[in-house]
Amino acid sequence: MRWLKSVLNRAHFLFHKDAVEKELDEELRVHLEHAIAERVSNGMNPADARREALLELGGVEQIKEECREAHGVSRIETVLADLRFGLRTLRKSPGFTIVSVLTLALGIGANTAIFSMVNALLLHPYNFRNLDALVRVWENRGMDEGYEARYIAPADAEDLRAANGLFEGLTTYNMQSFGLGAEGDVQPILGSRVSTNFFDVLAVNPAAGRLFSAAEEQPGADQVAIVSYGAWQRRFGGDPQMLGKTISLNGRAYTIVGIMPKDFDYPVPVELWVPLALTPAEKADRTQLSLSALARLKPGVSVTQAHAAMSSFSHRLELEFPRTNTGRATTLLQLRKELYMFTLPLFLLLQAAAGFVLLLACANLANLAFARMIGRQREIALRAALGAGRGRLGQLFISETLLYSSAAGVVAMLASFASVRALRTSIPAGWTKWVPGWDGIRVDGNVLAFTILAALGVGLFLGLAVVLHTSRVEPNKTLKETGMGAVTRTKRRVRNALVVAQVMFALILLVCAGLTIQGFVRLANVYQGFEPASVLRIEILLPQKVYTDNVKINSFYQQVLRGAVSLSGVQHAALVTNPPASNVDSETSLFSIEGRPAVKASEVPSADLQIASPDYFATLKISTIAGRMFSDADSAEAARVVVISSGMASRFWPKGDALGHHIRLGGLDSKEPWLTVVGVAGDVRQNWWNPLTRPVIYQPFVQAPQRSMTLLMRTASNPTSYVSAMRDVVRGIDPGIALRGVNTLEDEIADAIAIVRIMGILMGVFGLVALALSSIGVYGVLSESVAQRTHEIGIRLALGANPRDLMKLILGEALRLTGIGLLIALPCTVAISRAMASMIFGVVSVDFAILSGFTALLVAVALGAAYVPARRAMRVDPVISLRYE
Amino acid sequence: MSKPTDLVQGTLDLLILRTIALEPTHGWAIAQRIRRVSGDVLQVNQGALYPALHRLELQGWISAEWGESENNRRAKYYSLTKSGKKYLQSERANWERLSAAIGLVLKTA
Repeated sequence: MRWLKSVLNRAHFLFHKDAVEKELDEELRVHLEHAIAERVSNGMNPADARREALLELGGVEQIKEECREAHGVSRIETVLADLRFGLRTLRKSPGFTIVSVLTLALGIGANTAIFSMVNALLLHPYNFRNLDALVRVWENRGMDEGYEARYIAPADAEDLRAANGLFEGLTTYNMQSFGLGAEGDVQPILGSRVSTNFFDVLAVNPAAGRLFSAAEEQPGADQVAIVSYGAWQRRFGGDPQMLGKTISLNGRAYTIVGIMPKDFDYPVPVELWVPLALTPAEKADRTQLSLSALARLKPGVSVTQAHAAMSSFSHRLELEFPRTNTGRATTLLQLRKELYMFTLPLFLLLQAAAGFVLLLACANLANLAFARMIGRQREIALRAALGAGRGRLGQLFISETLLYSSAAGVVAMLASFASVRALRTSIPAGWTKWVPGWDGIRVDGNVLAFTILAALGVGLFLGLAVVLHTSRVEPNKTLKETGMGAVTRTKRRVRNALVVAQVMFALILLVCAGLTIQGFVRLANVYQGFEPASVLRIEILLPQKVYTDNVKINSFYQQVLRGAVSLSGVQHAALVTNPPASNVDSETSLFSIEGRPAVKASEVPSADLQIASPDYFATLKISTIAGRMFSDADSAEAARVVVISSGMASRFWPKGDALGHHIRLGGLDSKEPWLTVVGVAGDVRQNWWNPLTRPVIYQPFVQAPQRSMTLLMRTASNPTSYVSAMRDVVRGIDPGIALRGVNTLEDEIADAIAIVRIMGILMGVFGLVALALSSIGVYGVLSESVAQRTHEIGIRLALGANPRDLMKLILGEALRLTGIGLLIALPCTVAISRAMASMIFGVVSVDFAILSGFTALLVAVALGAAYVPARRAMRVDPVISLRYE
Repeated sequence: MSKPTDLVQGTLDLLILRTIALEPTHGWAIAQRIRRVSGDVLQVNQGALYPALHRLELQGWISAEWGESENNRRAKYYSLTKSGKKYLQSERANWERLSAAIGLVLKTA
């Protein structure tokens, strides 16, 4: 109760200030009256009594001040007064205010924008309940299987599900492209086959309808489907009677039982889910790692515990099934961390760069503030002389800088609404849908809180810097001095340190930005090994009902190819299963090499499988390294042949003798026919995240026909002008076939690397801002410190100093400071760029050209900054500069 | 004017609390009573009296009310609150223990 009273009292004192003041006056007056009355009644005359009473009481103002302090009001009041004073100061120099606020707003705004991405993509990528309990489970064969190759054998997954007490649930799934619709109008649709507990493990509920029941995992009972919200809207026009309707997938009828909520499209943006109904034989398979698996840890089970359990589990399987499971380690990884492998380095880099920009902005502002403090030295000295303590002065300065930073925070916040939206929409939706959480990039409570904290932090930081800078004011000395306050040794040291720090930050950020941009430019050019210009791509999917066998498929596509090359201006036309820059990993296949039988299943190598028509290599201008590419002679009846990629040839036949060897697709017990290697093609980057030298096996189209192919055409002029002619060609062969995914290969690549490009652009902007800020900063500090020596320069000149020597002295000092900054920064930049090189897909490497370029640039800025004011000072007549005092 | 030291401040608080424990009293009368009761030994520094009163009021030990003084003047009367009474008791016990201890040391050592 007492504290409540105390708070009420305090509030009373604060809000009824005038009344409280009056009471205080009245109280003291009453006291005096009593004191005088007593003396008068003792026989003193009234005038003397009054004098004595006053003396006894002491300084009335001081008593009142102490009473006010006792109320605890004075602190709040002085802060308000300081803020008012700060506002007046800001208004008095609008130029300085605008520059400072905008500089800080730029720094804070950059951080807000990047944090909005970090917030959405790293902190809230999926809105699953308790995301941290979800783990990816897979079997590691200890081989380089490329990015995202984390799969498990069906039988092993089943064992794990049965044996394990760690998981609330374990679910398996794979991706499948279906043909949706009846014959004549079949559309490709990306779906996922999921075990029936999939949605339970992820803990999501349908927006309408129901989830799968366990019985629907049985083959035959599995003809039910759940569609995504997007598919419901786009493909079925948001039909309110959707539930219970039947759709045709790959010619089978499926009943729609559920619609998922808007924001759910896991694992990748799929449009529908069907039960993963494996046959008993498929379920018992341990050779092929064919399924993705996710599990939800039981509450209280740590990832470390789960790791230990996994290793004993895989050890048991190894003992039990040595032929298939030797060398396989069941592994798990938090779902969030799996995502971080891809996004964390990029966004940490961007956030770090934004942080550096803010630091540079702060350094610049500190400079400006210090310069102003020199002008205000007399004011400060006067305040100190009138009894303002260090704490009181500090409060004044911090109030002022907090005003700046809050204003900057408000500007940054207002701007962030627009800039964050621009950021989100800067990348085509077709690409961003692959980035979990991208649509969540917006200014939410977290982002606002971040901005406010950043603004307050910056204000405090700057205020403390100013306080430290002005801590030792000697009122006696300063007030006696005339004209400009002298710059003490300590102060010069602080400013020198600032120059050094600024040069250091600038170099580090510039080099990081340079390296990142260079890395991203390189990434943009990663699509090596082929020429994307003037190539048109068209996806074709043949309905299963009509094209029932290879002869029909072959005949259709042969006619398409013939029709394509008959168009004038089309130089080459070819078919391929997965063209480069498709953003989809190629199908992989295990294979074995004749004469090198793998003893264990875990030693069977794997490669990407591509099916291509003879002209594929000519169409994309992929080089022939050895042997021959396919020809029309490789017919369906001819000997089975393959072409392999250069990366595969050098990995499995390091002596360069791949030609003529036989390989067989499939796992350990495969009964597939042997295929002869007839050629080695140049390496092609499939997607920007794939290594260039990934092993690829090409099979001739006629020997392994598929219904779903991509047609590529190399044209003489603008590729898009051939689209309508090609549409006519296909209609002439089969009017029921529609063309999809029509685009030029160049545009496809631009879309694929859109996110990479936006990162590059952001880093570029940060780099430019950093360059501008640090140039201004270094220039400002150096020129200011030279300008302050005008007087000294005048004396030296008057005493007969040689102007050239004097200039050398000044430039030498500027160089010395810059040099120290550079010396500190250089090892840092080398270390940082090494770290970056290992983090970002290996595309960034230490580059000494960039390093030396930026170093030279900063030295030039520093020299200019010293030269211009020194030159000005020397032109001044010594007499005038001495009088300048 | 220098701030009273902690001991003096603490003592002054105790003296004020004890003085107004009998009946509501205004500032001048508090000073007078302390002087009289102590046989003119304790001269309350009037400059320190009012800040001390305001501090005690803020802390909730005492409360203030305006009223008429003996010679028909308006004056601010201070009285002990409930928690102030408890506080006075414990402070008084503390003081007695302390002075007894000091006395003991002075006598025997």
